[in-house]
Amino acid sequence: MEVKLHDIGEGMTEATINAFLVGVGEQVRADQPLVEVQTDKMTAEIPAPANGIIKGFNVKEGDTIRVGETVLIMGSGKASTAAKRASSATAQKTRIMASPFTRKLAREAGIPLEKVRGSGPAGRIMDEDIHSHLQVEPPPQETPVRTEADSIPFRGRRKQIASKMVRSVRTIPHCTHFEEIDVTELLAWKRDVPDVSMGAFFIKALSICLKEFPIFNGRLDEEQECVHLQHAHHIGVAVDTEEGLIVPVIRHVEEKTLKDIQKELKALTNKALNQTLTVKEASGGTFTVSNVGPLGGSIGATPIINEPEVALISFHKTKKRPMVNESDEIVIRSMMNVSMSFDHRVADGGTAVRFTNRLRDFIEKPGILLMEMI
Amino acid sequence: MSIMTTTKTMTMVQAITDGLRVMLNERSDTLLLGEDIGTNGGVFRATDGLQAEFGEDRVLDTPLSEAGFIGAAIGMAVNGFRPVAEVQFLGFIYPAYEQIMTHASRLRSRTLGHYTCPMVIRAPYGAGVRAPEIHSDSTEALFTHMPGIKVVCPSTPREAKGLLIAAIEDPDPVLFLEPMQCYRSTREEVPEGKYTVEIGKGRTVLEGDDVTVIAWGAMVKVAEEAAKKAGEKGISCEVLDMRTLSPLDKDLITESVQKTGRTVIVHEAHATGGVGNDVLAIINDFSFLFQKAPVERVTGFDTPVPYFGYEDYYLPDTGRVLEAIERAAAF
Repeated sequence: MEVKLHDIGEGMTEATINAFLVGVGEQVRADQPLVEVQTDKMTAEIPAPANGIIKGFNVKEGDTIRVGETVLIMGSGKASTAAKRASSATAQKTRIMASPFTRKLAREAGIPLEKVRGSGPAGRIMDEDIHSHLQVEPPPQETPVRTEADSIPFRGRRKQIASKMVRSVRTIPHCTHFEEIDVTELLAWKRDVPDVSMGAFFIKALSICLKEFPIFNGRLDEEQECVHLQHAHHIGVAVDTEEGLIVPVIRHVEEKTLKDIQKELKALTNKALNQTLTVKEASGGTFTVSNVGPLGGSIGATPIINEPEVALISFHKTKKRPMVNESDEIVIRSMMNVSMSFDHRVADGGTAVRFTNRLRDFIEKPGILLMEMI
Repeated sequence: MSIMTTTKTMTMVQAITDGLRVMLNERSDTLLLGEDIGTNGGVFRATDGLQAEFGEDRVLDTPLSEAGFIGAAIGMAVNGFRPVAEVQFLGFIYPAYEQIMTHASRLRSRTLGHYTCPMVIRAPYGAGVRAPEIHSDSTEALFTHMPGIKVVCPSTPREAKGLLIAAIEDPDPVLFLEPMQCYRSTREEVPEGKYTVEIGKGRTVLEGDDVTVIAWGAMVKVAEEAAKKAGEKGISCEVLDMRTLSPLDKDLITESVQKTGRTVIVHEAHATGGVGNDVLAIINDFSFLFQKAPVERVTGFDTPVPYFGYEDYYLPDTGRVLEAIERAAAF
């Protein structure tokens, strides 16, 4: 029986083999995880379709394979009695004495008991032997080989991000528009509601702007020659993780309160950082936000649109700057830059400017947003 | 249920009488029956004065026939009473064994839950009081094997009263084992009025980290003494009183033996087929990987309980339990 890579999530076409969880000759039960694979959105395990024995692997760890390709071959039935006898004979030769708890300790520390010298009665391995073995022999660490250049793997999630970015830039004529927004008032307002983050506020304000400018919540369908203006505001939030950029999606922002958004934002960000997002939580967005402010430094960027969406907005670092007010006085204000990239096929600069103007109004005068929310 | 504010010093047998009195007052469906329990107050005086107080209709003297009065109690239970039958010694229960195993324990399942059998059989048991042959048997395992009957075994006066009241209120048959050795050996502050101790839950008598000592009935005290002596030698013991032998408190056993990894089971019944083996099976089922040493059993020997001259050799004592604790700790 061939075990193939099947589609385990929407739109998945290929995956990288992270690790095999079983060995050749091993007896497996139905639904026992056989192999861990990495798609562009998640890490998943492929389970055994039936009881059987692992006959061999068709791919290696690290390989990227397409849906439908064979991962491994399984045979039916049980391990032969001869094999079993042989293994028990070997077990007898290297009989190791240790209590179940000591065995558990060793297993958890990743120490093969054959390598431990027992100090107990009749050479029995004691808990202390495991502890001292750990101190004497620290687990082997890979020492990097010195070469002209260090190489890091370019596969799995990094490769998926790369191909997505290329596809987006190749197919969408990007146009980025910059704006600066005075957040002094919002910061003052936020002092009274410390539980709500700036991010949650921006997301709510964006949702109201999207209601007024639905084109930016659209999806271009070139075949049907139309732009679908989607009613639901599923806003993706770019999260910078060790594994690369992941975009969990807050669904139906248009129906949610600031508090709801804050709660979800926090939960999804944590899941993204812990690599526990489900496929559903990381797909189906209609508009994306990238809040790079907390990282500091950036005053502008040309963000790449999260295809097939129409636009994406980045919020940059807030800085105190001298500004000229309406009375021609120089005043100190907290200013934040935003960059908005949009698909120039479906929208023009004017619409984008009007969109960010409206957003600026909400952020500069939080009271206006309140009027829209009630 | 009254709120207990006062306590009174009692022996276990007084606590049992007090528990019976509370229930005779509380529930008009409670009846006591057994041989010589009326005027005479029972062989251990556990029902002393109750017939005078509640009358011959509530506290009944029966003929010398265990099968007869246990059978009568089953009939009463099915018909809406809560009989509490006294068997003079557990070793005398065998004529009634058929009634208990074939009828009392199966009424609920046989009638698909239409009838239950809310009765209690009180039975003094165990060695250590220099009683003649058969009077000292600990044959609790003969009853724990049968589903449908609960087996309860208190170790102190306070526990005895609370468990007895819970047993009388239980909708199913309960065999209530009273360790004779504990009847008058200790006194304890016992709450007045009504209170219950939950059936099916054990208790932690002493907390410790190195070895778990599991016991019930008269052996709890032996386990406690051995644990204290082990403590003087630097071995910290946790002592559990199972309180109910069927069903056993799996959670309590598991929690403790997973903490210590070493266990000593103490009971005075024979080792073969003893309840200790069920405790061992629970440890094997739930805590195998936590075991640092083989589980030790300190039990009576696989012989009939001997005549009183040799009784002390038969019963587990502090010395034997302490040795087992030390073996487990040193493994």
